[in-house]
Amino acid sequence: MNRQVRPGSQETGEIRLVNLTKTFGATTAVDKINLTIPHGSYCCLLGPSGCGKTTILRMIAGHETPTSGEIYIGKEMVVDRPPVARGTAMMFQSYALFPHLTVLDNVAFYLKMRNVGKAERRQRAEEMLHRVQLQALKDRTPAQLSGGQQQRVALARSLITNPRVLLLDEPLSALDEFLRLRMRGELKSLQKELGITFVHVTHTQPEAIALADMVVVMDTGRIDQAGSANFIFNRPKTPYVARFMGAQNVLTGTIVHMGEGQLWLRGANGAQFEAATSEAPLTEGSPLSFAVRRDRIKLRTNVGGKAATAPNEVRGVVEATEYQGSYVKVFIDLGSGVFVAHVPDGDFSAAPIEKGDPVVASWNPADINILTSVDKGAAEDPYSDTTN
Amino acid sequence: MTSGDVQKSSRFVYLQVAPLALVLFFFFAIPVALVILVSFFRYQMLVGMVPQLTSKNYVDLLSSPTTLALYLSTVKFTVIVLIITFVLGFWIAYFLVFHVRNLLTAIGLFLVCTVPFWTSNIIRMISWRPVLGKEGLINSGLIKAGIVSHPLDWLLFSDFSVVVAYVHLFTLFMIVPIFNSMARIDKSLLEAATDAGATRWGVVWNVVLPLSKTGIALGALFVVTLTMGDFFVVTVISGGLSGSATSGIFNDLQFLNYPRAAANAVILLVVVLLVAAAIFRLVDVRKELVR
Amino acid sequence: MAASPSSYGPRPWTFYALATLFALFVIFLYGPMIAVLILSFQGPSAALVFPLRDPSLMWFDELFNPRRVGDVIGAFERSFPLALIVAALTVVISVSAGFAFRRRFIGDTVIFYTAIASLIVPGLVLSIGVLVTFRYLGMPAAWYSSALGAHLSWTLPFGLLIMFAVLGRLDPSYEEAAYDLGASRWQAVWSVVIPIVLPGMIAVALFGFTLSYDEFPRSWLTVGSKNTLPLEIWTMTTNVTSPALYALGAMTTFVSFAAIAIALTSIVAIQRRRSGLK
Repeated sequence: MNRQVRPGSQETGEIRLVNLTKTFGATTAVDKINLTIPHGSYCCLLGPSGCGKTTILRMIAGHETPTSGEIYIGKEMVVDRPPVARGTAMMFQSYALFPHLTVLDNVAFYLKMRNVGKAERRQRAEEMLHRVQLQALKDRTPAQLSGGQQQRVALARSLITNPRVLLLDEPLSALDEFLRLRMRGELKSLQKELGITFVHVTHTQPEAIALADMVVVMDTGRIDQAGSANFIFNRPKTPYVARFMGAQNVLTGTIVHMGEGQLWLRGANGAQFEAATSEAPLTEGSPLSFAVRRDRIKLRTNVGGKAATAPNEVRGVVEATEYQGSYVKVFIDLGSGVFVAHVPDGDFSAAPIEKGDPVVASWNPADINILTSVDKGAAEDPYSDTTN
Repeated sequence: MTSGDVQKSSRFVYLQVAPLALVLFFFFAIPVALVILVSFFRYQMLVGMVPQLTSKNYVDLLSSPTTLALYLSTVKFTVIVLIITFVLGFWIAYFLVFHVRNLLTAIGLFLVCTVPFWTSNIIRMISWRPVLGKEGLINSGLIKAGIVSHPLDWLLFSDFSVVVAYVHLFTLFMIVPIFNSMARIDKSLLEAATDAGATRWGVVWNVVLPLSKTGIALGALFVVTLTMGDFFVVTVISGGLSGSATSGIFNDLQFLNYPRAAANAVILLVVVLLVAAAIFRLVDVRKELVR
Repeated sequence: MAASPSSYGPRPWTFYALATLFALFVIFLYGPMIAVLILSFQGPSAALVFPLRDPSLMWFDELFNPRRVGDVIGAFERSFPLALIVAALTVVISVSAGFAFRRRFIGDTVIFYTAIASLIVPGLVLSIGVLVTFRYLGMPAAWYSSALGAHLSWTLPFGLLIMFAVLGRLDPSYEEAAYDLGASRWQAVWSVVIPIVLPGMIAVALFGFTLSYDEFPRSWLTVGSKNTLPLEIWTMTTNVTSPALYALGAMTTFVSFAAIAIALTSIVAIQRRRSGLK
């Protein structure tokens, strides 16, 4: 199905949120959000429950009215328009398939609302079902379908409206693991084929980085960071994003010296950190946080005594190890916090590490990623160490 | 249609609720108000109601020992019926919710209990006559079995038959709300209690009973208001031998003494409302009913 | 649904005790009605007791003879249409009000508690009130005006509560999906919400019909000079000592059962069609 671009409007599926705010009584669910989602991209809104991602989706859809701010879809301001006039279509988390209609009538519903004749709308609905390979089930009722089938019907029902933006509210949460992975692939290829903008809300980080061209990490009503999956994963901007995306350690130190594009930091227990920086003005004596990927850590176990540590090293005692298949998670107690290293499976079997072993973890200064805000500690973060 | 379409829809809402409000106004609020008004009118023999305000009706009623006796009789019935319907209602609801394994069977049995509710109360009530009567089923059965030598005459046209009829008619009103409350109890709570060492009876006493409180309160509310407000059971099935507050009203109406009947009705209403209010303090009715 | 940890093993003794209690209760509920049904076939001996001698249909015949047993046919011709009208009005008014209550609005608490009060107030009191109201309005009491209103004051709270339960459980996503797909407010209600809550509406209709058809106290003073069926039966209990009364009981119960059967089968049919079992 070729998406026909409307005459005179090239980027019809671009979404622009300008100072978008939503308050429910005393609670601010969405706080002055500014975001531009390019036409034809796959964008994931990522964050824990209550961060506002679903509210933003519903405001784009038109099922929720913003308290203030503007929403532009393809250069048109849509806040006063009903959902059907926005060129958007929504896939609900519960699918919301009409239980009293057959699959075919569910898909044809949109056409019925537009007074398309019975024969024609049934035929077009059948074609759409053919696209999602469900034409054999057209006379069934939703109660007779499996979860995956219901989702395809919901998809067909949305796509028949010829939307320029498809909004998906946690579409894969209700599926089991195997189905989820398969549907992920199907959603991605569908988006590529249709060429329209997808906005997909999820709380699962691996899903977001697998699917999205653009990941928007959110925290209590604000956007912490928006960018490509690669960029966010490798260069998280804030401690929150670093922890939420997982696979990063966050350390904090005080700046003792700056010069020639280098920074020297002193951390807890006498640790020293050296990093290159080109960031904005920093002052000596102020604290700074940075992140290091867990799989870029080297561990040394044959350490003795309290030898002074070299720069970009921390020293601690192994607290626990957790087998994860292709790598082993090693939890190290630094005294000032927990530090995690991902040791490749093969390396670990060659040199096993056990609970209670003293260990030194080190990394290459090039793997240091300076964060734009200072870490307030993992205790404040509901998602510390729940992802890999 | 956005949720911001509130302006337009709120005017429409009033249109939607208007028919209900109108019916309640004309056929509930006004009639009750008029009853209260009429209760203060004077009654003249052969003339009827005279719109002169007087509190004579209330004075007469409240100082009359008959009134007190009738109300006591009503309260007596109500308490007995309440206890019996509660015990029956609780255990039957318990059986349906916790002992019947198949959900469909439980619903089916529940429906079996409710079907009589849809039939005429009067018919159900007079059906007791051939059962409890001197030559009725029970007496003939007892005589044939040799348990008694002559028929028991206290089965019918007595306090006993009144209680039987009330229990027969109103137990359902206990079963339904209690069933509702029990069905909402998370089954894992019971398992947790058993894990912690509770006996089966302990589980009932400590978990099921407290969590069914709202259902019990609602059931009690229904049973009390229906029993206190009834007059046909008590007149037909007791043969006029037992009295109730409503029989006083009934008598006054026969003589067309509307003011006194109205005053009596108001007293009855006040008593019923007091009981309802007491029960409402235990249960947040709106939260419970508007799920 | 069983709660005890041995839920998939042998049943505890309490099961048998409670099952016996349940069985006795059902017998207690249905026994008298069955007794009446059997007695209505009593022969010319006209005995109101067991056992039956010469069973016959003569008493059913008697019902249609107004001089001997009262105006049964006439009463039925008032009760039945009244019940149908009450059922229809109850559905329309309760559904409409149920939708209104999905949002808060000025006066919603007052109306809610008034409806509850209408449920609690003894029918006798209301009957007196409606009669007096009509007196003051100078209008005669009749089954199609004063009695109709009195019945509605009893059935509407029931209907309202059922609609609350039904609409409260309705997933809002269905309507949002409808709006998403271009439905206007009206279309969303007609094409999506009403079909989904249809079983609840049938229940409301059933309540309206049976509560009105069997209603006694609220009909008592409000029907005027011509009785509805329950009132007619009431006068017959004092005057008539023949099994014609039981024949009447059997027939009127049959009408009730028919109403229940129609309501239940339609609800079950709707549910079955939705889950695909044909």
